[in-house]
Amino acid sequence: MSARLPLVAGEWIDRSKKFGFDFESERFQGFAGDTVSSALLAAGVRVLGRSFKYHRARSVLSMANHDVNAMFQDGARLNLRGDVEPLRDRMVLAAVNTFGGVRRDRARIFDKLSAVLPVGFYYKAFHTPKAWFPFWERMFRRVTGLGELDFSTPHIRTPKRYDFCDVLVVGAGPSGLCASLAAADAGAKVVLVDENARIGGSLTYQRGGSDDPAAQLRNLASGISAHPNISVRTGTLAAGCYADNWVALVDAERMTKIRARAIIVASGVCEQPAVFHNNDVPGVMLASAAQRLIYRYAVRPMQSAVVLTGNQDGYAAALDLIANGIRVEAVVDLRRTDGGSAEEARVTEAGIRTLRGHCIYEARASGSMVGAAVICPLLTGGEADASRSETVRCDGVLMSVGYAPAAALLHQAGAAMRFDVQVGQFVPASLPGGVFAVGRVNGVYALEDRQRDGSRAGLEAAKYLGFPASAAPVVVRAAVAPSHPYPIFDHPQAKNFVDFDEDLQLKDLANAVQEGFDNIELLKRYATIGMGPSQGKHSNMNAIRVLAKLLGTTPGEVGTTTSRPFFHPVPMSHLAGRGFAPYRLTPLHSRHERAGAVFMQAGIWLRPEFYMTRGKTRLEAVREEAAAVRTGVGIIDVGTLGKMEISGPDAATFLERIYTGRFANMKVGMTRYALMLDDAGVIIDDGVVARLGEQRFYFTTTTTGSANVYREMTRLNTMWGMEVGIVNVTGAYAAVNLAGPRARDPLAGVTNLDLSAEAFPYLGVREAEIAGVPARLLRAGFVGELGYEIHVPADRACALWDALMEAGGVHGIRPFGVEAQRLLRLEKGHIIIGQDTDGLTTPLEAAVDWAVKMDKPYFVGQRSLKIVQRKNPKAKLVGFTLDSATEGKVPRECHLVIRDGKIAGRVTSIAWSPAMEKYLGLAFASPEIIANGGGFFIRMDGGQMVPARIAKTPFYDPAGDRQKLGA
Amino acid sequence: MNVKRTSPLHDQVATLNPRWGRVRGMRMAAALAGDETVARESVAVVDLSCLDKAGVKGPEAAPWLEGLGIVVPAQANAWTGLPGSGVIARLGRGEFFLEDGAAGDTAGRVRDALGAGIAGVYPVTRQDAGIALVGRRVNELLVQTCNVNFQELDSESRTVVMTMMAGVAVLVIRQDHQNLPGFRIWCDPTYAPYLWETLTGIAAELDGGPIGTGRLLSQAAKLE
Repeated sequence: MSARLPLVAGEWIDRSKKFGFDFESERFQGFAGDTVSSALLAAGVRVLGRSFKYHRARSVLSMANHDVNAMFQDGARLNLRGDVEPLRDRMVLAAVNTFGGVRRDRARIFDKLSAVLPVGFYYKAFHTPKAWFPFWERMFRRVTGLGELDFSTPHIRTPKRYDFCDVLVVGAGPSGLCASLAAADAGAKVVLVDENARIGGSLTYQRGGSDDPAAQLRNLASGISAHPNISVRTGTLAAGCYADNWVALVDAERMTKIRARAIIVASGVCEQPAVFHNNDVPGVMLASAAQRLIYRYAVRPMQSAVVLTGNQDGYAAALDLIANGIRVEAVVDLRRTDGGSAEEARVTEAGIRTLRGHCIYEARASGSMVGAAVICPLLTGGEADASRSETVRCDGVLMSVGYAPAAALLHQAGAAMRFDVQVGQFVPASLPGGVFAVGRVNGVYALEDRQRDGSRAGLEAAKYLGFPASAAPVVVRAAVAPSHPYPIFDHPQAKNFVDFDEDLQLKDLANAVQEGFDNIELLKRYATIGMGPSQGKHSNMNAIRVLAKLLGTTPGEVGTTTSRPFFHPVPMSHLAGRGFAPYRLTPLHSRHERAGAVFMQAGIWLRPEFYMTRGKTRLEAVREEAAAVRTGVGIIDVGTLGKMEISGPDAATFLERIYTGRFANMKVGMTRYALMLDDAGVIIDDGVVARLGEQRFYFTTTTTGSANVYREMTRLNTMWGMEVGIVNVTGAYAAVNLAGPRARDPLAGVTNLDLSAEAFPYLGVREAEIAGVPARLLRAGFVGELGYEIHVPADRACALWDALMEAGGVHGIRPFGVEAQRLLRLEKGHIIIGQDTDGLTTPLEAAVDWAVKMDKPYFVGQRSLKIVQRKNPKAKLVGFTLDSATEGKVPRECHLVIRDGKIAGRVTSIAWSPAMEKYLGLAFASPEIIANGGGFFIRMDGGQMVPARIAKTPFYDPAGDRQKLGA
Repeated sequence: MNVKRTSPLHDQVATLNPRWGRVRGMRMAAALAGDETVARESVAVVDLSCLDKAGVKGPEAAPWLEGLGIVVPAQANAWTGLPGSGVIARLGRGEFFLEDGAAGDTAGRVRDALGAGIAGVYPVTRQDAGIALVGRRVNELLVQTCNVNFQELDSESRTVVMTMMAGVAVLVIRQDHQNLPGFRIWCDPTYAPYLWETLTGIAAELDGGPIGTGRLLSQAAKLE
């Protein structure tokens, strides 16, 4: 039977646009402007979903974006909240969390098993016995989870964006509307957001049978729409508030990070349910849900109702029902006396039976729906007197017993909240500068007061921002608490739910407290209260009340749980947004591509790992590249190295303090290895320092270290106040290393620089033109051959590369990649920071203490290193070789070094050396290994042990004659 | 030897079927294949890396530049014009970035003068990639990549913004072009391909995209 009402003034549906849709194989019809839930209810469908744990029949609770027991799947879109999801034509819907559909859900058997599913069941299941863990895991995986993920879902683009405004007003109810107008009138640019499809908040549905609220809304709305300073965004949720007034706004398309100079939180309240037996049966709903159904969607929520209330709003809801042709069987008021409101008088005038000092003790089901309410008088302690119960037939129960402030944004903004007994809710005790709270979230309830409170905050926000605005008086909070202090009633058959998301009953909380979880944060985690999709919007306040009662304290003493962003679920696609993953390319990238490079990531750089050669494997290509360097000439792009310049009278002194080595005595035109430590004496970077002039140095850092090194140097120089200029030129310079016994040949063809050993010795640095390009040349020996590291301005890198490749053609020049370089340097026993060291390695352990001049007056890390020196190192980096006859699988980096069955170190580098014709590597080894002949085992992944022996480094060309070639 | 300079965005532009021109020894797209009008009206992305640049820093940098007859911005995070449509930006109390227009020679003069070595003045090699964004929807692109409110910079603004754009450190100034709102962006050249790809990708969603350098810089319109 259709539950659609005749035309309702102000309804949100467009009756001229009909939408057909399917729900679990049945065809229905709704209107544009309907939500999924309103359309189904209008079509006579009363059971909309199943509960999470016991699979109990559920329906509408709030119609306010919190109905997590009425969630649907529409194709690839899952967990759509029916209470707010707009109906679209040709939707194909199914309830989530059912086995066989919402009407015949096979998992409803869990409702019968609730006695053996106690609070903390998950934790208990995984406590003991251990043998059952796989069973529990399989079962939980099968029965839990909401919706079915479609892995073929196409990628949905949801680009994030930033936005800016003077004043952000969150919530377009009466207080938010007035706040917006006041701030905008003062000259502020206002962005007004509301999660609903239309503005108006409670003015759109809490009418008390009167047309006045609708008229007020029309007035306010016309002012808002006409105001040039106000931008309205409906369907937009303010989901989180962060430092510096950044607020995450989530709409259907994207997330917007808005920076507001001031924020006015007019987010209102969440109406709270009462707790009684069967308070979850379809047909039992919040009073505001029924009002929303009537006035927004023209849906009759029931034929006859019992209204449970603890405030005047319940009477207003009763009047709304009457005004729309719904019979009100009784108003059950938890209060013992008349509240004195006009609404109560009007209900009495209408001849509605009013039972004061009574409660609803239980709802009786008729089929899947509520069929009656069992009403009891209250005892003096607030408990139900079940011996004097009365059963009233109805097909709907409204609950209007109080509210909890939607204060998550205030919490996140840094507001301090306190429990106000008079108002019966948490209210702001203090607010950070630029943040304002208005309306019901501020404890102000009367409609006129909320509007005045809004105007007051709008003016204050404008004034705070420097706009001309007069001060407005503070509006007093509600004198009569709109929230009942304890609308919670025990029942021998339980099923009196405190949390509808997680099916938590009153007894579950009592049991959890009895088990020792008697703090609100512990209770939350153990009982999982407030951890479901609605994030406790209808359960946290009642949980606080229950805990306070059990502990004999007050809600204020119990306090609230931490409110973290996002306080409402946000689609993963929105969080992912557009991916910003910066990468860096050297100026020679296109040249590498042309040469067949296979790229690898080095930090955020893309570097050639090796160059693919037709008919060769990766390993063969790498070894050929290495062989080219050992026998002829190779060229590698080393532009990823960090590059810095330091100039000024204190430049040498500064380097002496930054690095472990000595640089003041370095001659102009020479280079020196440089090692950098942190304050703990741990190696953090290395490179080569070149002296270009008395007060001018150029130096390199590791590929991934440049930004950190530059930042640290800048920081230290700020502290030290030395007269130097430090410039990070990592991106401004390209660099290649020309290496091999014939490296001089191609170079000689493109420069007039005297390359003779006398004029340009090993470790020298020169500035000259190479192929017409101004360049810095460093004679380096990282790969153990004659080498020239050539640094040029980035925009001339291609010209340099092309010239060297052309000149080197007759000499068999060959580009080589990172893998070949790693092999070549390993043959020389040169370490790579970060690979052969870790976050604790000192120079003493890495065997580079030769680069540390402890007799200097000062360098960073020196003091710590002196302390470390006095202790025996636990391990030292050593070279090792495997037996030449090793066959099959060989150890890899990070495999453990074993001696006498115990872990005694780990492998940091290992490779097959074509030059040495054996596997060789570097490893951390314990002093015992070093002291006892150097033999140890390496344990591989499968547990296989491979014998190894310490070997002296460099493995290749120990005297270094080749890199000094002709020096 | 007249060595060819290569833009850090050369490879990206080369995929767009350009007709090449040359500015200051650097190959630039005089125009790209197809009609560039729509992109220019919406949001156009242009490679301007060819323009000559220089940098100085140090406690004596400001008086030294003034000694060369260069008018420097009085405050940090501000810029002024140089002869020939160039720009000098003050990045801090003692740090300056200079870029000539297609016809200016201030950056070159500064580099030459620095060669001698000046007390309290240190050279900064600038090889920044230069990108221009122009068009009516330029702000829509910016708000998707950066958390700075560029709408606060009007066409008369002389503010230099140093910020992160799509995860990359950038310098940004407002510089309109023929009554269309526009911005100039400079970044480390090794990040330029990534930033170009990101900006042109978003621009395409806004009916914009890359256009040839010659559309903004008449010198680049001259074909190779």
